[in-house]
Amino acid sequence: MNPHLLTILVFMPLAAALLMSFIPATQKTLYKYVALLTGLLQLILSGGMYYLFQPNGAGVTEAHLYQFVDHIPWIRLDMGSLGQLEIDYFVGVDGLSMPFLFLTALVMVVAIGASWNIQKSVKGYFILLMILNMAVMGVFAALDFFLFYIFYELMLLPLYFLIGIWGGARREYAAIKFFLYTLFGSVFMLLVIVGLYFSVTNPETGAHTFNMLHMMNPANYVPNALFSVAAGHELIGISARLLGFIVLFVAFAIKVPIVPLHTWLPDAHVEAPTPISIILAGILLKVGGYGILRICFSIFPDAAEQSAWWLGLIGVVSIVYGALVALAQRDLKRMIAYSSVSHMGFVLLGVASLTTEGTAGAIFQMMSHGFLSAALFFLVGMLYDRVHDRNIYHFRGLAGIMPRFTVFVAITFFASLGLPGFSAFIGEVFVIIGAFNAETVNGILPRWMAIAGSLGILLSAAYFLWTLQRMFFGQPRLKGGEEWTKSLVDASPRETLIMVPMLGLALALGVYPALAFDKINASVLALVELVVTN
Amino acid sequence: MIPLTHFLVVGACLFAIGLYAVLARRNAILVLVGIELMINAAILNLVAFGRYDKTMYGGQVFALFAIVLAAAAVAVALAIILNVYKFYRSVNPEDIKNLKD
Amino acid sequence: MPTTALTYPLLAALSAVLLPFIGFLLSAALGKHARNGAISISAISLSLLAACYAFAQVWNQAPVHIQWHWFTIGEQAFHVGLLLDNMAVLMLVLVCVIALPVHIYSAAYMKGDPGIHRYWTYLSLFCFAMLGLVVADNLLLMYICWELVGFASYLLIGFWFTRDSAVQANKKAFIVNRIGDIGFLIGIGIVYSHLGTLDTGTLISTPETLPAPWLTVAGLAFFLGAMAKSAQFPLHVWLPDAMEGPTSVSSLIHAATMVAAGVFLLARLFPVFNETVLLVIATTGAVTAFVAAYFALTQYDIKKILAFSTISQLGFMMVGIGIGMYPVALFHLVTHAFFKCLLFLCAGAIIHEMQHVKETHALDIDPQDIRNMGGLRKHMPLTFATMLIASLALAGFPFTGGYLSKDALLVHTFEWAALQSGAAKLIPYVLVIVSMLTSFYILRLLANVFFGSLSNPLAKNKTHIHEAPMTMLIPMLFLAACSLFPLFSVNPLNDGHVWLMQGLTTTVSTLPPLPLLHLVIPLLTTGATCMVAILAWHWYVNGKYPLKTNGLLYRLSQHQGYLDVLYNVAIVRPIFRLSHLLLWVDYHVVDGTVNGLAALGRSLAATAAWIDQRLVDGLVRLVGKIAWGLGHIFRRLQTGGVQRYFATLFLVILVILLYHIVVLL
Repeated sequence: MNPHLLTILVFMPLAAALLMSFIPATQKTLYKYVALLTGLLQLILSGGMYYLFQPNGAGVTEAHLYQFVDHIPWIRLDMGSLGQLEIDYFVGVDGLSMPFLFLTALVMVVAIGASWNIQKSVKGYFILLMILNMAVMGVFAALDFFLFYIFYELMLLPLYFLIGIWGGARREYAAIKFFLYTLFGSVFMLLVIVGLYFSVTNPETGAHTFNMLHMMNPANYVPNALFSVAAGHELIGISARLLGFIVLFVAFAIKVPIVPLHTWLPDAHVEAPTPISIILAGILLKVGGYGILRICFSIFPDAAEQSAWWLGLIGVVSIVYGALVALAQRDLKRMIAYSSVSHMGFVLLGVASLTTEGTAGAIFQMMSHGFLSAALFFLVGMLYDRVHDRNIYHFRGLAGIMPRFTVFVAITFFASLGLPGFSAFIGEVFVIIGAFNAETVNGILPRWMAIAGSLGILLSAAYFLWTLQRMFFGQPRLKGGEEWTKSLVDASPRETLIMVPMLGLALALGVYPALAFDKINASVLALVELVVTN
Repeated sequence: MIPLTHFLVVGACLFAIGLYAVLARRNAILVLVGIELMINAAILNLVAFGRYDKTMYGGQVFALFAIVLAAAAVAVALAIILNVYKFYRSVNPEDIKNLKD
Repeated sequence: MPTTALTYPLLAALSAVLLPFIGFLLSAALGKHARNGAISISAISLSLLAACYAFAQVWNQAPVHIQWHWFTIGEQAFHVGLLLDNMAVLMLVLVCVIALPVHIYSAAYMKGDPGIHRYWTYLSLFCFAMLGLVVADNLLLMYICWELVGFASYLLIGFWFTRDSAVQANKKAFIVNRIGDIGFLIGIGIVYSHLGTLDTGTLISTPETLPAPWLTVAGLAFFLGAMAKSAQFPLHVWLPDAMEGPTSVSSLIHAATMVAAGVFLLARLFPVFNETVLLVIATTGAVTAFVAAYFALTQYDIKKILAFSTISQLGFMMVGIGIGMYPVALFHLVTHAFFKCLLFLCAGAIIHEMQHVKETHALDIDPQDIRNMGGLRKHMPLTFATMLIASLALAGFPFTGGYLSKDALLVHTFEWAALQSGAAKLIPYVLVIVSMLTSFYILRLLANVFFGSLSNPLAKNKTHIHEAPMTMLIPMLFLAACSLFPLFSVNPLNDGHVWLMQGLTTTVSTLPPLPLLHLVIPLLTTGATCMVAILAWHWYVNGKYPLKTNGLLYRLSQHQGYLDVLYNVAIVRPIFRLSHLLLWVDYHVVDGTVNGLAALGRSLAATAAWIDQRLVDGLVRLVGKIAWGLGHIFRRLQTGGVQRYFATLFLVILVILLYHIVVLL
């Protein structure tokens, strides 16, 4: 097996971006083909890696159980009295990250497909898209905290421009809000990273290290260091480790997002162009969930267990609150944005349950939401492309005008509201089951949280079906009259080609969840054990 | 013996006349004369005080020195006045105000 | 123990389930090219054959159980499997037996509808899900099928999606069912967390593994699921609205099979329910039976009457479960499935004809309103005959299947009530009253539709009303035959000989029998039925209707207890208000805080900028200003006049001298 597959996967878009920078700006169509080719190659590569991935390798804390590892010393700097600075290029994959790499590749292809009609400065757009692609891949692959942080911050930059330049009417406001909000979280994260750096040493070299896996092992902490488990330092009255956990959690929770740190999301989603909405909902929200599992839970398992109850509460609040606010929306895209808040609440609830069912369900839910929210935003984009309107009340009886589109919408809506046979069902059900099970297994979450969470399933049916009823059923009546009827052509072959695989995957995962569970089981078990036995 | 005071009074008178000439005359030449008068007043004082230096005659030496200097200065000053006249067609100091701010 | 060997009965059951699914896929793939329903009809016919084979092999034999590994979460394996026992094969056959006539009927009933290809697709999907539900061996799989039948029902209720009332009805149906689904899900969660498996067999053999309070909660949760699906009060509101779907759909889904799924679930999980839960079930059932019968009394829409009748009968079945006699409940389920399905098919035939009349004469009438009908007996004699049989079965008249099951149910309820104390003793009496109400409303329907004469607009136009076509009549005749006693028992008057109950009773503790009741109850109900029939005849056929239509009780019944209004005011609108409030909070408080923080940041920056410009830079500029000002003052001395310079010089020297003199002195 080629040991550098992962590195190739991560940096392939960068090569494509370089290539694009040499293509003269007059060759507009060439950019999208290069991008599409890169996306497809990545999809094939990540699919192959997914297939090759050995499901019994748990990873999580054990470096040797990671797969497709590349570990190269990157920065070595003698800092005098502060010791040796040790930053590695260290990437690898375990059951927690493998599904996300594949998801990223898939959603990127979809996003590139959705970008087909971009007219405004195509070159810049696709180069930024490729950089974003690389950064996201890197985040999911990085095992060195410094490297992780670089990729994490690198994601923001292209997104800022992609929203701020190619977005809708209030794009600047949305882009700045998104940028500052996320930066707010990650700046404090940097403090914790530095704190961890000075607390942890590499057992082989004795130097301080950014290696995440070393950070997960309590034995590697310098005695009496700030974040050392044994020392039990306190900062402003709380345990330093708990504080570190909270800071990292807030950084990732903004991405997830949780209520009340979610308001960047509706603005960013609504103002972003369709492909970027797809990427935001499909991948970026998952970075938050992935970060919570990979970093918050793995490095601070003790603090994670302490705060699991609160995490569960936040999850439940997000589920119910997001669903209720979605119910009141008049803008279709905004409604879907809030439904994302609600659906990602399930992730938090599942993770907080600290049971294998809940955690696996949460990862599954993230995968599922990746496909389905991407599909949802794509569908909204299709409508918006045609008439430049998204107000739910401006449409009626679309089923008679665009039957194929309506079929897609109905399937996606039902899949999102948890119809059995689609992936969201498995994700949500196992999150709820895991939350129920928590009281028996570890007593962390009370059962009312599971029950309250299941209210979200009810409410999601309410807002999706209501929207379906208002926009698609009944006698056709459009705000734009005849003109709209003419421009509302049914789904084109390109759009069908994009929708079918996504819904197909959601269906495949819903019918045969083992496709995902088999790959993540070992890692989930190891993670839950790490947190619970701590 | 004429007391010192008389010398000083004459010197002061001379100085005052010179000062008046310098400040009030409308002709540069006469201003120069006023300066000469003031120098002479100083020389007179030097000579008068020279009475108290009977060994080195410092006062008189200085007086001679000052006379020579004054003569040199007059030569230069007259040259300047001549040039000023050439340039301004006037020797009235009131007309020469190029140094004004 | 579950096997992995696929024996013939299992294979038959599996193909019975999967054939409609293949039918669904094919119809969906072919779309408009498959309009005649041949695929769906042949699929369900083959299913029926397979189901009959499975039934023959399994009935009264040892249950067969097969499971395959599906997926693993952590170390917990989940399976898909089939569990074939008496209950499962009975339901399997029942669903197929009902579905096939309905399919055939639909071919004629739905003919010419532009969306008929969708109809077949949805119908096959429903059959697949329903058949899957009855043979599923674990709760997760049951839940999946449970939701899928709800989904198929959603699609079929909203089949005519351009009608607003239809799409509102299907949304309502799905959401109300979702409430029940949450109950089911909560039940699943509780069972899983205490039992570690979702296998139905394990659950019903060891329900005591669950701690007592959680057992009650789980029981109530499952019952909540059943309440929504089986339209129990107060979650029954979706079923009358669901009549917006095609009548053939109403007959299959909303009368015979899907709505009975709740009863089936409770029967399947029967050992899970403890005394408390059973009492709740019995009470809810009795209340539902009464309330629905009461609402049925004054409805004018023929399908609404039948819908409330269905709800009422489902209440009976719930009482059957609640008193611990689930075989009786299932028996009533089976008989009810036949006669209620038939009632709907007859109603469909009538509506079809009325619709036809309406279209040919361009009349402005509601084809479902019984006030517009009348005297149809002469025009549609076969329809009348079959509907009469079904109505008598519903009313519990001797020689019908309905008589056997209702009689058994009533008798057992009396036996059960003898052991109870308090208000529970009233339940059998409530059921007797409901039986009388049932007779009344169904005879009211018959009298209005088949007797008397056609209403004015129709009579004036000399309309020709025909009998339904044979493709519709044959299924109706078949179901009529099934509604009679011979299918169930050789003895038309004694439920003790019903093979169906004998096959199911094995595991149930019997109640102490009260033999006298077997004589009294049938006499009582039959007598009451006759009396009520006479009353209805007198009122409706002879036109001697004595009641005022604006009385409170009448209006309460007519408007279905104003429950929809109540729900709208008490639940739907508060939720909307809450959601709008939260939206406001989200915009103004949560996002307001964010924007406020941003504004705060901006104003801090503005303050800093002001300070920087005015104070810090101001000091620097002040120094310059002072220098400049001084210079301005001193420039006055710069006159250019040499003499003035001298004067100044002397003055200054003078001042210095004076200063020295003053200081030195």
